[in-house]
Amino acid sequence: MSNPSEINGGSAVAMIGKDCVAIACDLRLGLQSVTVSGDFEKIFQYGGNFVAFTGLATDVQTVSTELRQKHALYEMVEERSMEPNTAAHLVSSMLYSRRFAPWFVGPLVAGINSTTGEPYVCSFDSIGSMDVSHDFVVTGTATNQLYGMAESLYEKDMSPEQLFETISQTLLCAADRDAITGSGGLVYVIEKNGKVTKKLLKSRQD
Amino acid sequence: MAGLSFDNYRRNKSLEASGVLPPKTTSTGTTIVGCKFNGGVILSADTRATAGMVVADKNCLKLHRLAPNIWCAGAGTASDNDKVTELESSQLEIHSQWTGRAPRVVTALTHLKQHLFKYQGHVGAYLIIAGVDVTGSHLFSLHAHGSTDVGPYLALGSGSMAALSVLESKWKEDLTKEEAMELCSEAIMAGVFNDLASGSNVDLCVIEKGKPSRLHRGYKQPNQRLQKQRNYNFDIGTTSYFEAGSEVFYISKQSDLETSAMEVDQVS
Amino acid sequence: MADRYSFSLTTFSPNGKLIQIEYALQAVNAGVTSVGIKAQNGVVLATEKKVMSQLVDGDSLTKISQITPDVGMVYSGMGPDFRVLVDKARKNAHSNYKMIYQEYPPTRVVVQDIARTVQEATQAGGVRPYGVSLLVAGYDDNHKFGLYQIDPSGSYYPWKATAIGKGSSSAKTFLEKRWNEELELEDAIHITLLTLKESIEGEMTGDNVEICVVGLPNDDMLGFEGVPNVQGPRFRTLSSQEIQDRLDSL
Repeated sequence: MSNPSEINGGSAVAMIGKDCVAIACDLRLGLQSVTVSGDFEKIFQYGGNFVAFTGLATDVQTVSTELRQKHALYEMVEERSMEPNTAAHLVSSMLYSRRFAPWFVGPLVAGINSTTGEPYVCSFDSIGSMDVSHDFVVTGTATNQLYGMAESLYEKDMSPEQLFETISQTLLCAADRDAITGSGGLVYVIEKNGKVTKKLLKSRQD
Repeated sequence: MAGLSFDNYRRNKSLEASGVLPPKTTSTGTTIVGCKFNGGVILSADTRATAGMVVADKNCLKLHRLAPNIWCAGAGTASDNDKVTELESSQLEIHSQWTGRAPRVVTALTHLKQHLFKYQGHVGAYLIIAGVDVTGSHLFSLHAHGSTDVGPYLALGSGSMAALSVLESKWKEDLTKEEAMELCSEAIMAGVFNDLASGSNVDLCVIEKGKPSRLHRGYKQPNQRLQKQRNYNFDIGTTSYFEAGSEVFYISKQSDLETSAMEVDQVS
Repeated sequence: MADRYSFSLTTFSPNGKLIQIEYALQAVNAGVTSVGIKAQNGVVLATEKKVMSQLVDGDSLTKISQITPDVGMVYSGMGPDFRVLVDKARKNAHSNYKMIYQEYPPTRVVVQDIARTVQEATQAGGVRPYGVSLLVAGYDDNHKFGLYQIDPSGSYYPWKATAIGKGSSSAKTFLEKRWNEELELEDAIHITLLTLKESIEGEMTGDNVEICVVGLPNDDMLGFEGVPNVQGPRFRTLSSQEIQDRLDSL
C-alpha cells in the first residue's frame, strides 16, 4: 500500500463525438491484488451530467454523494438544470476546498450543454485542477494505457455508434494492460437530443 | 476562499505514516515570461500541463486575467494557480467596483503575496504579474513563499533557464510592441523545445495603456499534430455487450419536471 | 401601552404586525421616487438625484449601483443602508456563487441573497431593519431580463414595471396605463422619464436624473479582447448628456 489512489484500482475515460459524448468506466473493486467486486460502477448521473470518479473507493462514494446533494440543491434553488461546465466548476471547487487534505479521487465530467448543444468533457486531479478537452479525457490507474489507446484510436466527429466502439475498445484494451482495472466495463453514450445508451460490456474477468 | 477544510488531514497523515504517498497533482512545469515595452507590457506562456512524466493537458491556458488591465502567468501547481487567480480576480473586481477605479498592479501583487505568505509556500503558485494602471506599466514576479521581484523582463518555471538565455542575449531597452512580442514568444519557444516539462503552443497577452488588453491564444503553434496516416475505426458491432444491464433512456430536463409556479409573496 | 410593541423589532403586536418594519416602510415612502421598467430587450432603472444645496458636488454621486456585470440596483429610502446592501450583494455574488461555479449568479439568486440579508435584520436581536426598498434589474441566460422589488421585510416581487418611494403610487398608476408587452428599451427609458417628471419638482435635467439600463452586452466595456465566450457587461449607466438628449426629445 503506497498510493491511496491505487488501492482499489479502476479507470475511466470520456470522449467527444459529433453531437454526442461518451463516458466509460471499468467495474472492478479490489483491495490491492484481491478483486472484491465486479459490479462497482464509477459513473454517476446528475441530471444531464455524467461524472466518473476513480480513486479510493470510500472517497468515490463520499464525494459522489456530496455532489448529489449539491446538484439537487442547485436545481431546486435555481429551477433549471445544471450545465456540464457548471458541474465541472462545482466539482473543482469541492476538491479544492480540501486542498491540504484532499479526497483521493480523479473525476471526469461528461455532458452536453442544453442551450448550445456543445459536448463537454473535463478531467481533474485530486485537488481540482481542470483539464477541459476537445477530444478525450482519462483518469484512474490505467491512465497511461488509456492515453496511449485514446491517442491512437480517437477520431474527430464520430457518430454515437462509432463513438461507442472507440471508447469501448480504448477502455478494454487499456484494462488488459492494467492488473487492477477491468472485471467488466460500463459505457454511457449521451446524445444531443437527451438519448442515453447504457451498455454493459463483456470483458475478461482476470 | 471561504476557509479550506482540513477534515481529512489526520486521516491522510496517518495513511502517510503507514507508507502511503500523497497523490500526484497536475503541475504546470512551465515556461512563462513577461517583458516590458514602450507603452505596455507582455506576458507569454507555454501550454503544457504535466502529472509526473505524463502530459496531462496539451493545450492549457496559463495566462490568467486578474482584471481587464492586469494579467498574470502561472507556474507551479495547476489548481493553486487557477484558484488563487480566480480569488484575486474576484477581490479586484469588488475592489474596483467599490473605488470606482481600475485596480492597480501593486494592489494585485500585495494581495497575492500576503495570501501566499500566509500559506508558507504550500499554495504552489509562482506568478508573473503584469499590467497597466494609472501609475504606468508594471511587471512583477511572485514566488509561492511570498517574495516578489521587479524587472524589465522576467521568466519563471522549469523552463525559465531556457527562456532567460534568450531574454538575456536579445533584450534591449525601448523595445517596440512587435519586438517585445517576438522576443517573448522566442523565449517561450526556447522553453518549449529545451525543457521537457514545457511544450505545445505559445500563448501571449499584450497589455497596453489606453487600449483593451489582447490575449493571443495559440500565438505560435509549432507542434501541431500531423494528420494521421490511417484510422483505426472499428466496425460497428465489434464490441460485445450484455443485453441485460444495457438500456436506453432519456435525460429529463429539470424544466420538464412538474414544478410549482415561482413562490412569491402577495403584493400588499 | 399600545406602543410598547413599537420598540421591540422582533415582537409581534397583538394585531400581528411588526411595527418597526412598518416604520421602515414609512422611511422608504418618504424617500425619493425610483422607477423600473422591463422591456422586451432590456430593463431600465431610474431615480431622481436630489441635492439639498447648490453647493453639493453632484458629479461623484451615484444612486444606482452595479452588482454583477449583468445586474444592477437602485433604492428609495436611506442611502447608507443601501450602500451596505450593495457591498454585501457584490461580495455574496462572488464568494457564494462565482467562486464556486465560475459564473455570475442569475438575477433571482442575487435578489434572494439580498432579501435574505434584509429579512435577517427583521428577526435578529440588536439590529434595526434596513430602511430601503430596492429595485433590482438584471439579465441571465435562462430567465432573460428581470425586474424585482425588495422591501424592508425581506419580501421580494417580480415586476413588469413598478416604482418605489414617495411618488410610487401615482407612478404605478401611470405605468399601468403606459406599459405593454411590445415595449422596446428606448420606449421604456422614455416612459421612465415621463413617470419621473410627474414627481420631480422643478426642471428635469441630465444632472438631476440618473438612469441605468440592462440591455445588450457592451463588449466595448470589457477592457480586453481575444477571450472566447465572454460578453461585455449588460449593465450600463447613461451619461448626463445621454439623459439630456432624451429629455430634449421628450
